[in-house]
Amino acid sequence: MLILSRKPGESIVIDGRIRVKIVRVEGEVVKVGIDAPADVPAHRQEVYEEIQRNNQQALTRPKAPLPRLPLTNLPKSPKSSLAAFKKPAAALTKPVTPEK
Amino acid sequence: MNCEDTLTTELPAAQSVAPLKLPMGLLGFEQMKDYLLISNPREEPFRWLQVKDNAVLAFVVIDPFLVAPDYSPDLPQADVQFLGLERPEDAQLYNIVTLHGNNRATVNLRGPVVINRHTGIAKQVILANASKYSLEHALPLRDADSQ
Repeated sequence: MLILSRKPGESIVIDGRIRVKIVRVEGEVVKVGIDAPADVPAHRQEVYEEIQRNNQQALTRPKAPLPRLPLTNLPKSPKSSLAAFKKPAAALTKPVTPEK
Repeated sequence: MNCEDTLTTELPAAQSVAPLKLPMGLLGFEQMKDYLLISNPREEPFRWLQVKDNAVLAFVVIDPFLVAPDYSPDLPQADVQFLGLERPEDAQLYNIVTLHGNNRATVNLRGPVVINRHTGIAKQVILANASKYSLEHALPLRDADSQ
């Protein structure tokens, strides 16, 4: 693993297109800013790990008995809610303005 | 239509099966890329994401909008591109359900399986707004004894 020392305000450039900047150090917490093209996802590692664990717990055998879930109080045509992803997805394509 | 009726009526088991390709697998199951999405009217609103060519591995999934009416998944642009989604209508979401026993079940709202309806290509996407949602959103199950 490459280990570099950085001070607040300093950055690391990866692959010429991903900039990782140390924004602030507050005690044990390091605030990191990431400037990356929209096609590079960046998540906290814990999010990956918790979803992996959740998937492992959820694994079952086919045809296991399913519980009953009454849907009488729930919306009948939920498809319209999908429009919700349009706006955020478009918002994410907006390039992040690099700080000078 | 009364949804209650569709759950309690003994319908003929008109099971439908659609093949899905998850080129990146599910998180923690990266090596398994081919799945079958199985729906059976008697099991609605639950469906199955079953590993193809492996008769013992499956996940229970559900349309998240049925159980979380305010769900507003923010798909990262990288995933929208990967899946070739051009419009929101191109996407179908299913979220993985965990059956905990004791009549308790939860659904993961942070990492939906997003399917391109036209191509059958799918990916488990970590939402850009994942922190807004629960990994274990409780489903309002009906107590089996109160039937």
